Parts: sequence; structure tokens; C-alpha cells
Amino acid sequence: MFRSGLTCPGCGSSNIVDDDLYSQAQLVCTDCGSVVSEGTLADDPVGGSGVQRLKALCQILRVNAEIEDQSEKYYKEAYQHESFINVTLQKKEILAGCCLLVSCRMRNWPITMGTISCLLDADFNVVGATYKEMMKILNIKAPIVNVTDVMEAHSQEYKMSSYPEELAENSKDLTRRAVALVELAADSWIVTGRKPIPIMMAAVYLGWQSLKPNQHRLRMSLEKFCQLAQVKKCRAAMTRIAEMKEMLCKLGKELPWLRGAVTPDNVIPQVDDILQNRHALLRRAMRAHEDTLQAECQTSSADPPTEQTAPSQITEHVDQTPSASSVEQCEPNPERAEPPADKEANLHTAPEQSDAQESPDPAPNWGKRVLFAPPCVVHPKKRRAAQPELQDVNGDEEISDSEIDSYLRTPREVRDFALTQKMLSDEGKS
Amino acid sequence: MQLSSFTWKLLKILDQVDQVRCGVMDESALERYFDDSIANDSAFILGEELGLQSPAPLLHDSTPSVQNSSFLSTKSERSSELGDELDLSFLPDDLSTQEEPSQDDTAGSQTSVLDMSQDSGIGVNFTSQDSAAAEPRQEASVSGLRTIVSPFCPMTPMTPMTPMTPVTERSGIIPQLQNIVSTVNLGCPLDLKFIALQARNAEYNPKRFAAVIMRIREPRTTALIFSSGKMVCTGAKSEEQSRLAARKYARVVQKLGFPARFLDFKIQNMVASCDVCFPIRLEGLVLTHQQFSSYEPELFPGLIYRMVKPRIVLLIFVSGKVVLTGAKERAEIYEAFENIYPILKGFRKQ
Repeated sequence: MFRSGLTCPGCGSSNIVDDDLYSQAQLVCTDCGSVVSEGTLADDPVGGSGVQRLKALCQILRVNAEIEDQSEKYYKEAYQHESFINVTLQKKEILAGCCLLVSCRMRNWPITMGTISCLLDADFNVVGATYKEMMKILNIKAPIVNVTDVMEAHSQEYKMSSYPEELAENSKDLTRRAVALVELAADSWIVTGRKPIPIMMAAVYLGWQSLKPNQHRLRMSLEKFCQLAQVKKCRAAMTRIAEMKEMLCKLGKELPWLRGAVTPDNVIPQVDDILQNRHALLRRAMRAHEDTLQAECQTSSADPPTEQTAPSQITEHVDQTPSASSVEQCEPNPERAEPPADKEANLHTAPEQSDAQESPDPAPNWGKRVLFAPPCVVHPKKRRAAQPELQDVNGDEEISDSEIDSYLRTPREVRDFALTQKMLSDEGKS
Repeated sequence: MQLSSFTWKLLKILDQVDQVRCGVMDESALERYFDDSIANDSAFILGEELGLQSPAPLLHDSTPSVQNSSFLSTKSERSSELGDELDLSFLPDDLSTQEEPSQDDTAGSQTSVLDMSQDSGIGVNFTSQDSAAAEPRQEASVSGLRTIVSPFCPMTPMTPMTPMTPVTERSGIIPQLQNIVSTVNLGCPLDLKFIALQARNAEYNPKRFAAVIMRIREPRTTALIFSSGKMVCTGAKSEEQSRLAARKYARVVQKLGFPARFLDFKIQNMVASCDVCFPIRLEGLVLTHQQFSSYEPELFPGLIYRMVKPRIVLLIFVSGKVVLTGAKERAEIYEAFENIYPILKGFRKQ
């Protein structure tokens, strides 16, 4: 079979053929006999050819014929491109996996990159890089992966059905519960921007615990659970679990029949009720939150706003979504201090505030003032304090000689430095 | 009444200024605008607050006479005119010469343009008037690099911050420049080993990279100096700082004995960041703006938005923080942000 579009680096001919006679796949120039590309030595028991690998993957994932055909098409197209024509066999396999990934996405049968890298036993970062390159070469756009869509496929990996009743859970119930938890997490900003697999793992774990919140389950750690389920644990799932528990507590607090505080330790048995009544609980929680904000506004009305004289119109900070965060402006009263969120926005975005002005005391970030906010806002990373910047530079100032001299070595220094370098390099050689 | 005579005077001047291609306002709108300002007291104290909020300190030459470049540089005089009677002497005699500011002044006028838009940005928050109307001034200022911006410079305390034509709500947020990358040609081949030996602030590891890495303290920047004489300067926070830093590096090289010059200084890339202070549903954004966005949470937590006009890449994060990069000029950054802000806000309400 002739390979179009390839030229032999040896003689420049375009008569390149596939040579599958031997165990390695090779592309050979029929004119001069030089090997244009070859796979690495066959460590791979499954087979050398990338297309074969692709077919194998399709079978493992049980994709339909459409997806298989589409991915083959993409693979053949990408494979011929110069970026991929001479790469190792492993990279070709990864490319096959990526083509499959994108075809699955386009046909609404999404899988995660993590899954692909697991199946290919490849480094996740390499898979990611290959995926991006392939997308650029093929010039296609794939719809994003919705976590809830992947949830079903993911939760089926957890083999929890063949255990004694205290621990067992069938896949269907588990999936349903996990999907509900993921949806709730998505509404409270836990999902956006994060890798999907730790979230799904956290959802399955918490879902499993909440379906039968007996002592066995509640006491079981994530580690143990993953062992039981024969799934590889990922560390990020621990933080997701904590975040989700926090979110559940915020909602659980509003359950009218509960006495005592709802803490991450005792919230799991309530999850059932929380999920059943989540809309109502959300409304109550938001209202309660607004009330607290109002109360705070009242108390801070004595605060004379030095920077502003009128309420900002930047943002109303009212989130209309039935789900997530809401910060409402303090009730219309033009003289009152604005919600610190606005104030903070003004302060932080006022450019190059010179030190002469009223110093902006870093106002509490807006994340702390809303009911639900992305965790990266609520717990911001500590940034290095900005250096006091050079103000009023026009680029054409005089440059003092002394300053420039401070960057130059004295002759003595030069001698010492050269000597030391020589000594070190001699040492290195001997 | 003093105010109305000012109105008439300024209207006449504006006739001329219109030729300078502000392009955003018309006379009837102007009159409306002034009528509004008369009705509203806050306009009078605005000038005061502007003085307080001025981000850039006074220029060294703060005399009222404006012989040089754009009359925008007279921003400095604002403070001297706070609350005083109207003084129109700031306006240059011959407005038509303002059309094309000279090359050297571009940076200056751009800064002034920028400063003005900064002012208006802050002003929006202060006025109890319709802040929505503040848009066109910033628009005018960012879209036209070389044109003089709105004649309603905040030079007189009478100038209310609300512009004439109400447009879509403006963000009031100014992206902060974080990094500027520039290149310059020193115009002579260089002996990198010699430079690395003679300079304290240089490192040179030919096996790793074929250039000397030099650093200076003020402005805090890093330069890559190649043997061909070309140099890359990174880390500055403004165009002027980048230029000053590049000149300092050139001076160091000069002092080492090379006939270094300063040719073809060019800003290659500008990076800025800002915070819209509300969370953003990236999944939704990628659905509605599919042709521009790329969002792969497995690979990167932010959404990569490739804006076509201006050609800027934005990294948008769930926290509301936005990074803008790929600009050759400051105005492109501002324009890009003003383009994306309504989109992001639209997302918030959904």
C-alpha cells in the first residue's frame, strides 16, 4: 500500500510503502530501500500497528461502530502529519487513544483523558500534550466533557456489588446517588475548573456512604474503599470530599427537623434528606445568608466611606441562578457603605494606587461573603506582596553612571572570578 | 450664569475638536450632557475626588502651559484647578495639530489616554449619575491610539464623569499590566564570555542556552543578550519601564567596551491581569462561545479564549480572574477586556 504525502529522506522519492512483513511496522522507500520510519522494538505484545491498537481500545471500551470508524479516520489523518510520522510506537498509541477520545466526545459518549492514559499505561501529561497537538493538526473542536455524563461510566468501575450487605451496593443505585451529589457540587462551584476524576471518586465514596450510613461505611476511609472497589485512589479526592461535606453541611443546616449542629462528621446520614429537598434547602440557605448580610450591613452603616460617595454600579452581585452564590447589595440606601465586595473590587482594581492615598486595607475577599464560591476564591493562595512599583517612568530618564558601574566587576573581582573558575574546572577534570 | 457660558465656550471649541475625530459624541448629546451636569451637584466634587484618586502622580512639569504633545498631558493640572473657576487656558491654541502625536509622544499620550480612562473608570463609581454612560469615553480612548480622546478631559472640575451618549455598562475595572516583553538590537556582535566575566549580574551557560542572562534591580527585569547583539528584555510592568530597563542593559554593554546602540526597540508582548470579582461558569461560556473558547479542565483549570478583534488570548478562571496576553499595545488589552466583560457578566446572571 502506497503512503501518499511522504518523501524518503534518503532519495526524495515518494514511493513509500508499508512493510508489515516483519513483526515491526515499517515504512520503506521502494526506490532506495531506506527505512523512512519504524516503530521501536516490539515490546508491545498487542501488536505493532497503531490501527490495531486503536481497534483494541475500541473493544475494551465497547464503543459503537460509528465511533470506531470516526477515530480510525482521525488516526489515519493525524498519523500522516509530520509531527507524528516519525514518533515512537508509544506515541503512536497515545495518538490512537486521543483520536478515540475525541471521536467519543463528538458522538456524545464521553470518556476522560485519565481513562485513556490508564488504558494505555502512559503518562497523563504526555497524553494531554499529544491531545492538544492532535486537535491543532486536525483542526477540530470537541464539545467539553460533562462530569455527569462521564459519571455513569466511571462509577461502573467500582466493584461494590459482591460484598456482604453492609458494604455492598449495586452499580445503578450508586451511580444515581453519585450523579446527584456531583450535580449539587457543580452548583456550588466545586466542579468548574477541576479535574473530573477526583470529583467523581469523591461523589461515589460519599454516595456509597450515604446510601447505608451504618458504622461500617462511615468508618471506612477512602483508601480502604478504593481497595474494596478495586480502583486506584487519587489524592485530590480527599480535598473534594472535604469540600463536598462542607457544602452538604451548609444545606443540612437548614433542615428544620434537626437539632444540634451539622458538622462534616455527622452530615452523611442526612444526605438522603438533603438530596430529596435540595431546592428548598438551597432557597432557605440563601435567604438565611442574605439575612446575615443585611444584619452586617446595618451594623457597618456607621462606617464612613472615604473612597466613594455613591453606590457603585459595577455589579449588583445578584446571582439569579437558583443554585449558587448570591450576594445582594445592602438594601437601597445611598448613604450606606457598600458591600465590602464592591469596595474591594474598587480598591483592588484601582490601578497603581500610589502609597500616598488612603491605604486599602485588604478587604475580606468576596468569596467569604457569599454562600457558595469557588474554593480557590475562599482560600486564596498567599501571594508575594507586590513590590513598590516604579512610578512615573517615561523611559527616557538619565541613567546614572554609578548605577551602571554597580553592575560591573572590578578588575580584581574579574581576576578572582576567572581564577576560581579555572580552579573549579581543573578540579572537575582531574 | 457661569455654567452656561462655559457650556457655550466649550461647545464652540468642540466644533473644532470634532475634527480631531473623537467620533463618539454629537452636539445635542453634548447639550443634554451639560444640562444633566448642571442638575447634579456631585459633578462639582468629582474634580476633587479625581485629584485624590489620580493613579499617576503629577508630571514633573506641572505648569499650566501646554506647549508639548497632547493636551492630555495636562492631566496634572487638574489638581490645580480643583474647585476653582473655569480656566480654559489649558486648551492649546491650535487644536488641529493634535491630530497625529509624534512618535515619541505616543507612549506619553498613550499613558495619558490610559490615565484618563483610569480616571473615568474610577469616576464611574463615584457619580450618582448613570454610570452606564461612562462607556464611550473609555471606548474612545482605547480604540483610537493616536487620536486624542474625549475632549471631556478631567481637567476642569466642571467636567462631570458621565459622558454624553449612554452606552452599555462599563466595567470600571482596569487590567493591571504584569509583564512586558520587548526586544532591541544593540547593533554589534557581542562576546558573551567576556560579558559574563565582566558583569556581576550576568549568567552564561552555553551548554544550556546560547545567551547571557542579565538582571538589573531597577526596574526589576531580566534580559537575554545574544551574541548577534539582539536582546530580549522581560519583567517590566510598563512600556516605559521596559524601555528604561533596555537602555540600562545597553548602557552596561556599552560600558564593557562594545559599540552598543539602541535600534528598533519594540514591545513584543504585554500581559495583564484583573479580577471581575464574581465566579464564572466556564462550562456555559465554552458552550456559547465555542468558536473562540477552549476549556479542558483535565489539562488546565482555565478557559482559553482567543479573541479575534483585538487579537488577544484571555485565560478566564472560575474565580473571576482574567489574564490577557498577546498584546502589542496597551489599548488592545483594555479593548479586549471591555469586550469580554459583558460576556462574563451575562454569564453571571444565568
